[in-house]
Amino acid sequence: MNTRRIPFPTLLRVETRKLFDTRGSKIISGVLVALAVGAVVGRGVVSGPELHTVAGTAGIVFGILLPVLAILTVTGEWSHRTALTTFTLEPRRGRVMAAKCLPPLVASVAACAFAMLVAVPVTAAVAAAQGVPADWRVAPLSLAGWTATTVLLTAQGLALGTVLMNAPAAIVICLSSTVIWSVVGRLGSAGETAMEWLDLNTATIPLVNGDMTGGDAARLAVSALAWIVLPMAAGMVRTMRREVG
Amino acid sequence: MIEFQRLSKRYSDVKALDDVSFTVPAGSVTGFLGPNGAGKSTAMRILAGLSRPTSGSATVLGRPYAGLERPGYEVGTLLDASAQHPGRSGREVLTLGAMMLGLPRSRVDDVLELVGLTGKEGRRAVGGYSLGMRQRLGIGHALLGRPRALVLDEPANGLDPQGIHWMRGLLRDLADSGCAVLLSSHLLHEVEQVADRIVMIGRGRLLAQGTPAELGQGRGLEQTFLELTAAADRSLA
Repeated sequence: MNTRRIPFPTLLRVETRKLFDTRGSKIISGVLVALAVGAVVGRGVVSGPELHTVAGTAGIVFGILLPVLAILTVTGEWSHRTALTTFTLEPRRGRVMAAKCLPPLVASVAACAFAMLVAVPVTAAVAAAQGVPADWRVAPLSLAGWTATTVLLTAQGLALGTVLMNAPAAIVICLSSTVIWSVVGRLGSAGETAMEWLDLNTATIPLVNGDMTGGDAARLAVSALAWIVLPMAAGMVRTMRREVG
Repeated sequence: MIEFQRLSKRYSDVKALDDVSFTVPAGSVTGFLGPNGAGKSTAMRILAGLSRPTSGSATVLGRPYAGLERPGYEVGTLLDASAQHPGRSGREVLTLGAMMLGLPRSRVDDVLELVGLTGKEGRRAVGGYSLGMRQRLGIGHALLGRPRALVLDEPANGLDPQGIHWMRGLLRDLADSGCAVLLSSHLLHEVEQVADRIVMIGRGRLLAQGTPAELGQGRGLEQTFLELTAAADRSLA
């Protein structure tokens, strides 16, 4: 009999499987792929055969849907009360949470690579169809920054979902933050400063543009601390202490 | 063997459990009997490491739950049959459990057969299951790792008469093969036909424990149960 503790790769396989083994999660994954492909094709047709622009359009889809997927992953055990069985099979809750957080982060990198892969034939096809030369130029720094931004937004979803333990609340905060910050940013210089330092979407713009300065890095670090590190730390403490019923 | 030692649990001003001690020996079925809200689920959740006691302790095979490396092999638990993702199939629920325990997929088929769920039923989403089917699934999940102790919270709820009869036979067989079985119920007759020992609690306090014959004292188990729970209610009123 195997009485050693569950190996982490096993937990990782189980939690990855949970991403795709229900109707809801299959639908959201399907929608994610369909919208990403649709965004790439649509932008290619309208804007012309520019690889970088075409691929980057999928980022709009990823920036909204991957955090939602991340939130559903970390809140699922509470919303469906399956924590009762999951944490009974593995009482070390921190290991389960770690196994839940990794797949969405890896999926974010994979999604960006997927968008690039789809964008190449789309760019070639659009160039052929429109009879114009394709623009294959890609700024590696900007591409890496774009991928990193997608990962950071997913991490924000994980952190908010973990601390709130409630999917609707975390999704509303995630999706409405753009609106709220655009209002705050118009509230004089104090509001503008707050947005620069605390809005993750604003702070990641230099990352996507590939022209990050030292000041930009500091602003990014502060907003990541506020929206990823602190809520995740608080969320882990809550998860460890929560009475499961 | 399952042991509760001077277990107490306070929620702000309510004593959910008050100094409860009892043992579930290996090779026996112990019925955990009490009215709704008596503290049965609280005790079982503390045992499974899901809730922290205010004082006292609960152990499985002599160890606290958190100290078990892979609890699924030591103790099978069914704490709430309804606590399932509605969009996941019954077979998938068992597959996830089998993966966590490092068991072959054939064990999933064995367990489905053991609890009387057909292949077709196993492929259906749990959201469409009756409570009785969820109980069967939950019992199957608890049995995946062939544990030496079994903790079932109200497993008879929603089971039809055939289902209850089947469960009694299953628990009897498990106990006879050396398993320590603890099952809770608020319905006396569900427990008395299968239990070797009965532990009665009310308002968080242990009221009585012993064999059904000892507790019946010639006037019937039901009378004893009603008198003891009424007395517990009065003492707190």
